[in-house]
Amino acid sequence: MVALRQISEQRDFVVSSASLKDVRSFSREVFEKVNIEQDLKDELVLAIAEAAQNIVKHAYQGEDTEDKMEIKISLKNGELEIGFFDKGRPVDKENVRHRKIDDVKPGGLGTFFIQQIMDAVVFKEGEKPWINHLILTKKINY
Amino acid sequence: MSYKVTEEGDVSIVHLDGEIDMDVTEKAKEIIMPLIEAKKEVHLNLKEVQYMDSSGISVLIESHQKANELGKKVILKDISKSVLKVIMMAKLEQILNLG
Repeated sequence: MVALRQISEQRDFVVSSASLKDVRSFSREVFEKVNIEQDLKDELVLAIAEAAQNIVKHAYQGEDTEDKMEIKISLKNGELEIGFFDKGRPVDKENVRHRKIDDVKPGGLGTFFIQQIMDAVVFKEGEKPWINHLILTKKINY
Repeated sequence: MSYKVTEEGDVSIVHLDGEIDMDVTEKAKEIIMPLIEAKKEVHLNLKEVQYMDSSGISVLIESHQKANELGKKVILKDISKSVLKVIMMAKLEQILNLG
C-alpha cells in the first residue's frame, strides 16, 4: 500500500462507551494509510479514544443518548489535526485538568495521556449544530 | 474482553484477554474485586491484553488500593508490551506490583 502524505477523514459515532472500539478501529484504519511508526500510531489511537471517552463521560455524563459525535482526522504538511465535535454539555475549560502525577487515584488519567501524546489541546465552542469542538494537534515526521 | 480464573492454593489468577476500555471496566471490577476479598493474593495475567486505556488503568489502581486496604496483594503478571507502555505513561510502574 502506498503511504499517503495527506489525509482527511471523518466519521460519526453514537455517544456511548460501546462506540469506543469503533473509534479505535476507525483511527487504526486511517493511520494504516500513513507511514509512521507503529508505536506512534498506538499512542495516537489511545489519545483519540481517550478524548472520545471524555465526551461520553463528561459532556454526556454517561447518559444514554442517540446523539452522535464526529471525529475528523486530517494530516497536511506534517501537521496532524484531530477534531472532535459533540452536542453535549459545554466544556468548562477551567475544569479540564489532569490529575497530579504523584496523586495515585483513578480518574483524570485520560486527559494526562492526551497531553503527553499530543503537542496541543484546544477547546473551542462548536459551530452549529455542535456545542463543543476539541482540537488535538501534533507535528508528524514521516 | 474475555477472562478465565484459575486457583493455585491461596492465589487466584485472572487471565484477561482482549481490549480493556471504559465499556468493560465494570465487568472487570466485578470479576476482580470479589477475588481480592476472598483470597490472599490475586495475580492479573495481562499477556493477552492488546489494549488498555485510562479506564483499564483505573481498574488496576482500584484493585491495588483495595488489596492494600485489606492487607492483601494484587500482582500484575506477563504484562503485554502495549499495557506496560500505558502503565509507564501513567508513571505507575513503581506503585503497582509488577511481577
